[in-house]
Amino acid sequence: MQTAGILHADLDAFYAAVAVKENPALAGKPMAVGAGVVLSCTYEARAYGVRGGMPVREARTLCPHLIVVDGTFGAYTQYSKAVFAIFGSYTPVVERLSIDEAFMDVTGSIHLFGTPADIGRAIRSDVKRETGLAVSVGATPRKFLSKIASQVAKPDGLIVVNPGEELEFLHPLPVSYLWGVGPVTKRRLNDLGIHTIGDIAATPQDAMTSMLGSAHATHLYALAHNLDPRPVETRRKAKSLSAQSAMRAKIRTLDELVPVLKRLTDRVASRMRVKNLSARTVTIKVRFGDLSSITRSTTMPASTDATGAIVVVATKMLERVLTEFPNHETTLLSVAASGIAAGEPTQLAFGVDDDDVSGGSPRELEYEALDQSVDALRKRFGADVITHGSDLLSGRTKNTDGLSDIMTND
Amino acid sequence: MRIRAERDDLADVLARAGRAVGTRSPLPILQGVLCEVSGGKLTVTGTDNEVTVRTFLDVEVTEEGRTVIPAKLTADAVRKLPVGAVSLASGDGYIEITGSGPRFKLREMQIDDFPKIVDVSGGETIVLDGGNLIRALAQVGVAASTDDARPTLTGVLFEANGENLRLIATDSYRLAVKDIPGIATEGARLVPYRALRELGRTVGMGSMTVTLGDREASFVTDQGRLTVRVIDAAFPNVQQLFPDGHSNRLVVAKDAFLEAVDRAALVAEDHIPVRLAMHGGGVELSVIRQEVGEATELLEGDYSGNDMTIAFNTRYLRDGITAVADDHVVIETSDPLKPGLLLGASSDDFRYLLMPVRL
Repeated sequence: MQTAGILHADLDAFYAAVAVKENPALAGKPMAVGAGVVLSCTYEARAYGVRGGMPVREARTLCPHLIVVDGTFGAYTQYSKAVFAIFGSYTPVVERLSIDEAFMDVTGSIHLFGTPADIGRAIRSDVKRETGLAVSVGATPRKFLSKIASQVAKPDGLIVVNPGEELEFLHPLPVSYLWGVGPVTKRRLNDLGIHTIGDIAATPQDAMTSMLGSAHATHLYALAHNLDPRPVETRRKAKSLSAQSAMRAKIRTLDELVPVLKRLTDRVASRMRVKNLSARTVTIKVRFGDLSSITRSTTMPASTDATGAIVVVATKMLERVLTEFPNHETTLLSVAASGIAAGEPTQLAFGVDDDDVSGGSPRELEYEALDQSVDALRKRFGADVITHGSDLLSGRTKNTDGLSDIMTND
Repeated sequence: MRIRAERDDLADVLARAGRAVGTRSPLPILQGVLCEVSGGKLTVTGTDNEVTVRTFLDVEVTEEGRTVIPAKLTADAVRKLPVGAVSLASGDGYIEITGSGPRFKLREMQIDDFPKIVDVSGGETIVLDGGNLIRALAQVGVAASTDDARPTLTGVLFEANGENLRLIATDSYRLAVKDIPGIATEGARLVPYRALRELGRTVGMGSMTVTLGDREASFVTDQGRLTVRVIDAAFPNVQQLFPDGHSNRLVVAKDAFLEAVDRAALVAEDHIPVRLAMHGGGVELSVIRQEVGEATELLEGDYSGNDMTIAFNTRYLRDGITAVADDHVVIETSDPLKPGLLLGASSDDFRYLLMPVRL
């Protein structure tokens, strides 16, 4: 029997809420977390129109007394872990979407903990009691609908949509709640008199197709009719892994950026090794003070999971970017690994040129051996036991800083 | 320009020169071939600015001249005419192709836009049998890289030391070396394998003159001339990659070995290696693919050394066995993580060194 057993739980203004927990003096004030760009902001700041993803400069013009907190240090990971532990105590079927958001399938837990509504309430109160954070929950029979319900429930709410009530809930909502409707699509739909999800459902599909193209129209049409067969997946296959870091100081030179690059690469490559993955393509993204950004990628002949190998490839690209854009202030750097392969045996290479650091080359094997030692040390003594010399020289001794932790994506 | 020739001869010179014409060239003029008629001879030139092929044909000349015509279209048009004599005549911006009955009228291309073709300057000259060279290049060429990101490795190194002409190619996973004896020249040039692969189909197998110039290398027979820009980079020092010695030596029949690897490759995907478990009676080949199944096969052979299992990429191994020109193939190994050497049982003028896959 169908139930509202799919839950979507989303922590309210997570980064900002954690910042307030860490510094209670910020409570009740318009505050944003971020460096350069707003990562998250309190509901007090949202009242002024401040939104995530907005440049801090723009946020300050909207809200002149906005308090901006550097998000670099914070116990984000600990809070997230505590919250996910609570999710996991109600069902083993948890699909982690990000550090502060997850789907859960609780249909198998109903005989233990009560109706989905009961479970939603229990999760919310557990999270509030144990971490002090507010989590909004949507409980419906379908994934996309639960995600919409949790957005409607915000802040600090619970919405349950039982089987048979879906369209009644869905159709009055504005189209922008649908996944796939951004500002452009929204404007296009509104221009045609389509404002609610119900309007989409009532529009002939042919007309939608001619407006939005076939794939997009089919997708929105299906959602508007409450069609979304995706199950909750506990393990999603990674297509790429990345880490990024916003700069606090004005940084222009390669010497200043390389330690950051090494740290980010360390993070990405360590996670690949934990998951027994390797990657062929390395991509770096550099954002400058004027918010313009440059992306460069290199695809190696064979995939690698070695920190040192990826550092070599990424540094070469970074050097070229900085030569191409001299005297530009870098505000954000990211490193991503893609072209992921899982557990393939390594074809060894001669290493005919000294620059070759791709998988199986002699240099890569040396980096790999180093990684094995580093990973073993960290496993035994913790992540901070060993770090790059460049970090120590720049006075940094911890590997686990809040921001790069939270900004890593699978 | 006004000439007459047999359909098949004309179609042949046009098609062979046309092989140098890139199909996706950014410059429209490079879709054309240059036809020049003088002294009773038609010369057809096609180029993609890297590789140039020039073919020759004795023809009946009514009027000398030069024109550039669309390579593929002209060659196809000539080929589709009825058998017999074909005339080409250019004038007023058109070229007219007439056979016994049918007639094509194609627009000429701008002759001034056609790149200047420079002849090879400087360098050493080698005269050898074209068929020999082409077979030798096919043996080493499998080891050349096709990755344009590593241009040096896409070439075949021609290294003449006064006694031998040594041809070397590597893509960093395998290394192929072939010695052609009796060449008294000295000098070394790195030539793109992409161009060398076309030798047989453009200038043929006859007696061949190879010139290793400073910027270009050329390969000339009585049928035509292929010129290619050499790769201006130092080829890695690969001689040191050959191990000093080996502890294990396996000798197996080439055809049986090839068939066994082919069968194993059915189960393997490109990245799944074939394991060779070598012991006194020969070698056991096996491929294990978790979600599909496995294949094993015992192949008799002579083996001396310690029992050892080594794994190779199936395609690379297959390429190596195929390239060995002998009834029996020798595999010399010393360690599962060190390269294996393939060569013929009765000669070592061709050697194929292959890095293993780590299990």
